[in-house]
Amino acid sequence: MTPIRKVLVANRGEIAIRICRTLRTMEIPSVVVYSGADRGAPHVRAGDEAVLLGPAAPAESYLHVERILAAARATGADAVHPGYGFLAENAAFARACAAQGITFIGPSPESMERLGSKSAARLAAARLGVPVVPGVEDVPDAARARQEATRIGYPVLLKAASGGGGRGMRRVASDEEMEAAFESGRREAEGAFGDGRLLVEKLVHPARHVEVQILGDGRSAIALGERECSLQRRYQKLVEESPSIAVTKAIRTKLEKAAVTLACDAGYAGAGTVEFLLGPDGDVYFLEVNTRLQVEHPVTEARFGIDLVRAQIEIARGGPLPKRPEPRGHAIEVRLNAEDPYRGFIPQSGPITLLAWPAAEGLRIDAGIVEGHPVHAHYDSLLAKLIAHGRDRAEARDRLVAGLQGLALLGIRTNQGFLIDLLETEDFAAGETYTHTIEAHAWPAPDEIPDEALLAAALASEAPRAAEASGGRRDADRYSPWRLLGAWGRA
Amino acid sequence: MSRRVAFRWNGRSLEGSLAIQGRRAQWTREGRTLDATVAREGAWVEVVMSEGTARCAVNAGSREVWVSCRGRTYVLERAHRTAAGPAAEASTDEIRAPMTGRVVRVDARPGARVAEGDLLLTIEAMKMEFRLTAPEDGQVDEVHCADGDQVELGQVLVRLTPASAAAPGGGAS
Repeated sequence: MTPIRKVLVANRGEIAIRICRTLRTMEIPSVVVYSGADRGAPHVRAGDEAVLLGPAAPAESYLHVERILAAARATGADAVHPGYGFLAENAAFARACAAQGITFIGPSPESMERLGSKSAARLAAARLGVPVVPGVEDVPDAARARQEATRIGYPVLLKAASGGGGRGMRRVASDEEMEAAFESGRREAEGAFGDGRLLVEKLVHPARHVEVQILGDGRSAIALGERECSLQRRYQKLVEESPSIAVTKAIRTKLEKAAVTLACDAGYAGAGTVEFLLGPDGDVYFLEVNTRLQVEHPVTEARFGIDLVRAQIEIARGGPLPKRPEPRGHAIEVRLNAEDPYRGFIPQSGPITLLAWPAAEGLRIDAGIVEGHPVHAHYDSLLAKLIAHGRDRAEARDRLVAGLQGLALLGIRTNQGFLIDLLETEDFAAGETYTHTIEAHAWPAPDEIPDEALLAAALASEAPRAAEASGGRRDADRYSPWRLLGAWGRA
Repeated sequence: MSRRVAFRWNGRSLEGSLAIQGRRAQWTREGRTLDATVAREGAWVEVVMSEGTARCAVNAGSREVWVSCRGRTYVLERAHRTAAGPAAEASTDEIRAPMTGRVVRVDARPGARVAEGDLLLTIEAMKMEFRLTAPEDGQVDEVHCADGDQVELGQVLVRLTPASAAAPGGGAS
């Protein structure tokens, strides 16, 4: 057994808070780290100790390996949990931890390298008889990409060989589009991952994105069902659910078997996710492996009643794999993002002037924000995740919609209303969810405001005059506990 | 006694009249009247109507009023700022960097007249381009950035004098 006595959480936002929560239940002291921009951020208060890493830029803080390791040494942390993003899939970081005798809570650098690179993982999958989307791994230039695309058949997808999140990804429908798409895709991949290599793949259409949660201990692995994450914009997931309405028992068996085979082959220890495309004819194609905890892991937790962060820590200690619990009901998660869905999902930043969370049965909220603290443009636009669990899909959806309707957030624009619209579409109710669904629809901004909202706005915006008249400050009313209407009705 | 209230929203004007008596409020707009009992607690306005109760959160700033109602947030601009508050507050519009990034191109020129929606400059961040446009008609006073500049979140890039504030005492009402 490897002892874990104190864990440094090398992340920020909701995931850092969520990891600290499990550490507290396990009675393991936690250390959080933060950048200059995150002074006073809610995750800083989530740990037992907090260490300032450096300036706001990720390269100077959350991606700065030496500073994070120095923080671990200074606080006596003997393990690091990387969360997702930042250093979570960085094999060099995992090696640097090991070199200092610090346990990296995640897979070994070797299995990270074997499965983390899309090209390497595709080769491994093909070798193990796991179907992959027809394509070519390393395409040097646009001319070669055109050749391969013609052979595979248009439309095709260009993807970055390393990394994910849709960066570097381009849909190409014809020879004519290839040159420009290839060059811009390569630039974006180079900028995002420092690796401009692209691969060409057949575009499966219409496709669902289905992924399998795995836990491995280096020798064996278990699968915890699937999550469907088809609803995406700009190749970033917005809605995730489990089970998938399109996954039959036979498909699930096939998916789980493929995921476990890949994990065992790589000697995988820890939590991971194996992503697949599900084609219109029920065919599944391996996409990639995420060698870390996923943003959407609470969907699996809700349905299986398991704590995946605890499982990660116990595996890192050398403990046994948990027994696979029986899944129950249906879980759906939405990502609340600081973005304007009606203007191309542009990220928004600024102070949150008001925040009130809903309380509802079967609703879990993992949030990284508090009222009064700003959302910074330096970091991810994810503010919080709302996860609803119900006896069936309809109940989970109703609870999620009710949760979103009960949430009030002012100061920055978010996708809250858009998520309600999305969950209320007939397509969603019918389970007609595909990777292109969001982009194929027009999502007009609301063109009417309910009269009660206007009445409330009129009331509140008229009120400060009374405050002024009585010598108060214009914005003072925001902080006064009770303001009866009579006070300004006289104005 | 009733009072006319005007906002701008999504490029159009929304006007209504608000009458208050004790906790009774009446909101009339476009021929429709909403009668409600209202109560206010901090930022919250509870609107009790015959068809149900809505709890709205409101943040009324000097320029914008943000309202959240049933999970949807509406950002209203005050249509008559000069009438609603001290004139000093309405003197200029500051165009700030919405995020840390690089200025790709500056279109705004000092002294130029611009119309609402005109492109002022383009910023690039995380490989995405963002177009910053004039929030209302007016004149460009100052430009504080140039092509290729690295800018920080919240940095003032352009100052505009809105047409509505240009003429002394020129309230819209």
